[in-house]
Amino acid sequence: MSAIRFEGVTKRFGGLAAVDDLNLEIRKGEFFSLLGPSGCGKTTTLRMVAGFDQPTEGHIYLDGEPVETVPPYRRNVNTVFQSYALFEHLNIEDNVAFGLKRKKVPSDEIRTRVAEALELVELHGRGKARPRELSGGMKQRVALARALVNRPSVLLLDEPLGALDLKLRKQMQVELKGIQREVGITFLYVTHDQEEALAMSDRIAVMERGLVKQCSSPEDIYEHPSGPFVASFIGTSNLLSGVVENGCVKLATGASCVAQVPSDCPQGAEVHLSVRPEKIWLDELEEGMVELGGTIVERVYVGTTTQVIVELGPGMRVTALEQNTARVGSDNRWQIGDRVRLGWHREHARVLR
Amino acid sequence: MNENRFASAFLVPGGLWLLLLFVTPLVLLLALSFGYTDDLGEAIYSTRLDNYERLIDPAYLPVLFRSVGFALAAVVLCLLIGYPVAYYIAIFGGRWKNLLIVLVVLPFFVNYLIRTYAWIALLGDDGMVNGVLDSSVRFLNTPYAVVGGLVYGFLAFMILPIYASLDRMDPSLIEAGKDLYGGPWQTFRHVTLPHTMQGVLAGSVLVFLPAVGDFVSASLLGGPEEVMIGNLIQQQFQASDNWPFGAALTVAMMAFLMVLMVSYLRAAAREAKEATA
Amino acid sequence: MSTVESRPSAPARPAADARRAPGKPPKGFDRPRFLKLFVGVFFVLLFAPIALVVLFSFNSSRSLQDFQGFSLRWYETFFESESLRDSLIASLEIALLTMLIATVLGTMLAYGLVRARTRVSDSLNVLMLVPLVTPEIVAGASALLLFTQVKLDLSLTTIVLAHITFSISYVTVVVRARLVSLSREVEEASMDLGATPVETFRLVTLPALWPAVLAAGLLVFALSFDDFVLSFFTTGESPQPLPVRIWTQIRFGVRPTINAIGTFMLVISVLSIGLALLLPRLLGRRESGLKVLLGREGA
Repeated sequence: MSAIRFEGVTKRFGGLAAVDDLNLEIRKGEFFSLLGPSGCGKTTTLRMVAGFDQPTEGHIYLDGEPVETVPPYRRNVNTVFQSYALFEHLNIEDNVAFGLKRKKVPSDEIRTRVAEALELVELHGRGKARPRELSGGMKQRVALARALVNRPSVLLLDEPLGALDLKLRKQMQVELKGIQREVGITFLYVTHDQEEALAMSDRIAVMERGLVKQCSSPEDIYEHPSGPFVASFIGTSNLLSGVVENGCVKLATGASCVAQVPSDCPQGAEVHLSVRPEKIWLDELEEGMVELGGTIVERVYVGTTTQVIVELGPGMRVTALEQNTARVGSDNRWQIGDRVRLGWHREHARVLR
Repeated sequence: MNENRFASAFLVPGGLWLLLLFVTPLVLLLALSFGYTDDLGEAIYSTRLDNYERLIDPAYLPVLFRSVGFALAAVVLCLLIGYPVAYYIAIFGGRWKNLLIVLVVLPFFVNYLIRTYAWIALLGDDGMVNGVLDSSVRFLNTPYAVVGGLVYGFLAFMILPIYASLDRMDPSLIEAGKDLYGGPWQTFRHVTLPHTMQGVLAGSVLVFLPAVGDFVSASLLGGPEEVMIGNLIQQQFQASDNWPFGAALTVAMMAFLMVLMVSYLRAAAREAKEATA
Repeated sequence: MSTVESRPSAPARPAADARRAPGKPPKGFDRPRFLKLFVGVFFVLLFAPIALVVLFSFNSSRSLQDFQGFSLRWYETFFESESLRDSLIASLEIALLTMLIATVLGTMLAYGLVRARTRVSDSLNVLMLVPLVTPEIVAGASALLLFTQVKLDLSLTTIVLAHITFSISYVTVVVRARLVSLSREVEEASMDLGATPVETFRLVTLPALWPAVLAAGLLVFALSFDDFVLSFFTTGESPQPLPVRIWTQIRFGVRPTINAIGTFMLVISVLSIGLALLLPRLLGRRESGLKVLLGREGA
């Protein structure tokens, strides 16, 4: 039985469909992410699971039971909000105990469970503090503890790390993943940060304007994006436009690239050739690679890597990524204006329509 | 949605109260204005326009004009006095800002009657000023005294909105204005004034509305030449016992003020809605 | 979010400007001296009449011109008069009742206006604002008419009813300003954790709201205690609230006791407003009542 099932779920505001015919099954114990830009419907979907919004059409099932008539305070799900939404007039312990008190759990049990929850998020001993005394990261942990302590069947997280600084965010990502594994609860995670989704999720559903564009594991989505939107939203990708010609893709520059053309792209079809920057090699190419020539127009040093932007022809640029490993100093290697040969293994490129 | 129904229920007690005890009386007043008083002095509802015809009578129109005139004078004076004070506190107040504004508002928590009475104590024939100057200047029973009473009564309503809008203004705007326009007057005209216009308008309305209908100042500080519409209305309802005419007077006054009231309400409601959205 | 660092090559500024903290008056305005004088004179004239009243309430003679020695006789006259005492108690009772009932009604109305989506919300919003701009004489006359129509005798009850009607709006405006700043997510979080809408209101919304409710209540108390016009129209024979008595006394020219009554009323009003401003801070909240009350001003 799935933890959450969406059947033909549509949510309309006025004439606009924020969520359009959503069909998804989220498995128990899974870390599932809804990923997409603002307005893609991911938060609306989350709110429908929580019970704050009702679907205009379709059904949602929690643990196999339909939930249309169940108000949020009776669903076995809990939410971690982006703004933390802590109760300012209560201390940490009372915040965390809030849900348990509503369920009339006996007070010694409350005490034990609250202590456990605070230990889990590493806030042991801070129970008597007030929310306003805490930093953003700590508040986030309290919100997490407050939700988890109720042992919901699903935990909903609405961009919980959005307000934290980069370093803290990365740290919390690792912690969250660890907690999820330890506790075993199904996590439904909403984010617009694709790196975050890739790092933490078992599966990701990429959404755009209310529709699920692709739903799969992080590796699958990254290596085999189903379309131009997913390819450009996940990671960076080079999208070279061209036309199918004799089993190859002919680019606007005239160069022809051998590629794995799928069966639904006939001769003459307009397609995009999608190649990840890190899959592009410069100068020292291997046997059997697809080869192209161009001029270096830009070079961006980002610490761990150097981005080299090569112009293949008017209006057609490609970004290649070279790791700044100790043995090659990039500044001596490529200068702006140099002619360079670049290439990739044929299986690293995808033909997308 | 369950939660919406819960919140909607909250609207009922207050809404019902306002409907029953605020709207209904106003409707009754409107209805009565078309009525008359019978021989026994009872007010009877009817559909006559007699009361309104009486209003246009030369005896009563001047009263309305005078009320408007006094109220306008009060607004202008409040503006001339209140704006500089608000400006000083907002711009130059520094950390004393809050204290100063509280000090400005404090006197207005003395009862309006007492405050007006205090002016009698000051300006009366045996008042303080005449005592100090050892004179017997007639200050009271003049239009100036009445307007003065109105100003003193409602000044806070002018100062607070202007202060709030000045306080909200970004001080660097004035700096930029000074660079652009050169002199302080120019800066004021082109930068400060436009930004505080909302406060000025709000303050003006908040002074004008109560001032027109006021009868306390005219009663205590003025004489028969200074009778205002508020005094007339009060007389109809208490001394003369001619309620239908009093109702007509009230309705006429409200109609006159309606334009102002409506525009103020629209602005306030719009602002409240934007805040809630 | 970037801060502009001062470039070392910027022209040297006068020392006074360099020391100036942000938020201080803009440079080059030598207005202050004249303006300062103006404001000074303003405050003197503002407080002079009141100072006079307070001072002469302690005058041993009836005169308003010479202060002939300190005395409490006018206060004695005030408190010894049974009818004046009754009036004082009446005023306090009215103010208290008005405060309690108007606060409840106004707070509920504010909550409904902010949190509910109904077809009547907009109209109710406007309706709620109308009493604030209605001249008191209109209010008084119409209230009197209503009570006569329903054959309700004028008494303290009618005064309370009228006061409540015109106090609700003040409460709603103050509470609403506070409610709007309370994120909806906190209430959603509460329901998410298992609290029903009623429990959420009781356990989460109200605790966050009470500084505003308190401030509004005390404001309403002061306004009711001081009210004249409304009371004047809706009062019965006896007891009459203090402001109505003051009116009668002024008309009859019985002066010196008025000073004492006025001073006394001033103290009560100042106390309740002072409480409204200070209580939220004293009882553990960060913001002052002033901000809470002024938050809505300047519409």
